[in-house]
Amino acid sequence: MSTAADHLIDEYLERLNDELADLPRARRRELVREISEHIEAARADLPAQDEREIRELLERLGDPMDIAVEAHAGAEPATRPRVGAWEVAAIILLLVGGIFLPFVGWLVGVFLLWASSAWTSWEKLVGTLVVPGGLLGPVLLLVLGVSVESCTRVIDVTTGAVSSQSCTGGTSAAVQALWIAAFAALVIAPIASAVFLARRASRRAAAA
Amino acid sequence: MRRGTLEYCVLALLDEDERYGFDLVKGLAEVDGMVTSEGTIYPLLGRLRRDGLVESTWRESTSGPPRRYYRLTESGRTALAAFVREWSRFRDAVDHFLEGKAP
Repeated sequence: MSTAADHLIDEYLERLNDELADLPRARRRELVREISEHIEAARADLPAQDEREIRELLERLGDPMDIAVEAHAGAEPATRPRVGAWEVAAIILLLVGGIFLPFVGWLVGVFLLWASSAWTSWEKLVGTLVVPGGLLGPVLLLVLGVSVESCTRVIDVTTGAVSSQSCTGGTSAAVQALWIAAFAALVIAPIASAVFLARRASRRAAAA
Repeated sequence: MRRGTLEYCVLALLDEDERYGFDLVKGLAEVDGMVTSEGTIYPLLGRLRRDGLVESTWRESTSGPPRRYYRLTESGRTALAAFVREWSRFRDAVDHFLEGKAP
């Protein structure tokens, strides 16, 4: 028996379990078990049981997200995954809420995120941890910033020549580079996270 | 459209004989154009069970773990009959309008 195939199956069932996380525990376990048994039964029918065939089998089974959406079908409209004002507000607040209402705005975004049924727990975790405060981070970094170099020159009035110059402040090139890298990362990460949340929610809503 | 009708196709398959999950999925997958994701049949069966349209019993199997066999309930039979009537009318109406259109 190929272990690559086993790995594919385990990975699939793990994803399925994750997608079904907000179902009642008994129902989730039952579904995962049924599908696991289906995989074993279908696998026994395969001629080679190699990785390619297992992949095809899992593709015919379908994306765990679609199975989860079907499991939620027939539920109260309020609990069905959708992309509404709530979800849009959550994403916007997560991204920039921290800037307009320092930190509190972001916290409200976190609350909206977790209260919504448009995302799985894992997706919500990503949305919360990447990055706390959203774009407040880079804004703070801008404000704290690098110190500006200031120079004073002494100019001889009669000859117009610069007799001496002294500079204070400024940052070394290494620190500047670090600062730029950190700034870029703190801008890109929350935006990527927001895009991630938006895409997952709309895919889930479209399948529902 | 496909989602609502798939449930009735399941009921129709069970009308002939009681079947277990994997067997049902195979039966549905045999007909092209019905099932896009085989895994979605399982939550669908769960829903039919909770809605009282089908019931299930566990039977021992010689070739593996016990299997859950599904069969229609009285409500399921009634619902299927009603759908068959509705579907004939609906299909005829759609065919009427689509008549002569190239695929």
